[in-house]
Amino acid sequence: MPRYELCVILKAMQRPETAAALRRTVETLLERGAVVRALENLGDRRLPYKISKHDSRHTHGGYFSVDFHSSPGIVSELLNHLERDVDVLRPTVLKKDERLVAARCCEAQAQKAKRATSR
Amino acid sequence: MFALSLSRLLLQAFPKQPVAPRATAQCIRSLTTAQQEPLKKDDTPMKMENPYKPPPKTCVLCNVTIDFKNIQLLSQFISPHTGRIYGRHVTGLCGRKQKAITKAIKKARSMGFMSVTLKDPQFIKDPDICRVKHFE
Repeated sequence: MPRYELCVILKAMQRPETAAALRRTVETLLERGAVVRALENLGDRRLPYKISKHDSRHTHGGYFSVDFHSSPGIVSELLNHLERDVDVLRPTVLKKDERLVAARCCEAQAQKAKRATSR
Repeated sequence: MFALSLSRLLLQAFPKQPVAPRATAQCIRSLTTAQQEPLKKDDTPMKMENPYKPPPKTCVLCNVTIDFKNIQLLSQFISPHTGRIYGRHVTGLCGRKQKAITKAIKKARSMGFMSVTLKDPQFIKDPDICRVKHFE
């Protein structure tokens, strides 16, 4: 199963309401057969620009990141569900590419090129 | 007479200065072969990597992972006045890293992590990586 990352911005709310919104999101994921790996809080910040969503303009939000494994068919349904959720300002699902995690340095690339040309 | 010959004999036998053998054509070969010693194996030049090799060229972001969530790193490559991404000739990054930075900045902007038209005020005092000329 491919690995996805859901970066979601929630409305600036009190702690119990934020917890409830996160609970809803994770339960939706688990219902559709996803395996949630980790849930990270990236902090409550001031948004970089004002976001208008669900008939209101927002300036602050809570950033959260959910790491999960799932089948590719779920992704569009999940995004649909999150768009309709009133508390969610901006949902984004990204694929997590394992190869990109290891930073390739220029030296390694130069050596690779040398080996390729020498052959 | 005897004395003269005697003195000559003595001079020949015990010269005051050491007499070097005169190098004649016949003698030269023997001279050179006699002075030549067998070559020691340690003296021959051995193959090794160039010790004066210049260090490999690297860009600033070598061995640094680029993440769209790391907006402080990304903000170092945008203009503080307009929020525009600096070009390759300004940042000095290699092709791969420049492309990765550009993609990460655009991703962060669309996801609501980074601003489009300005640089986050808390990152303005960060040290300068890019060689930018600010007109005053």
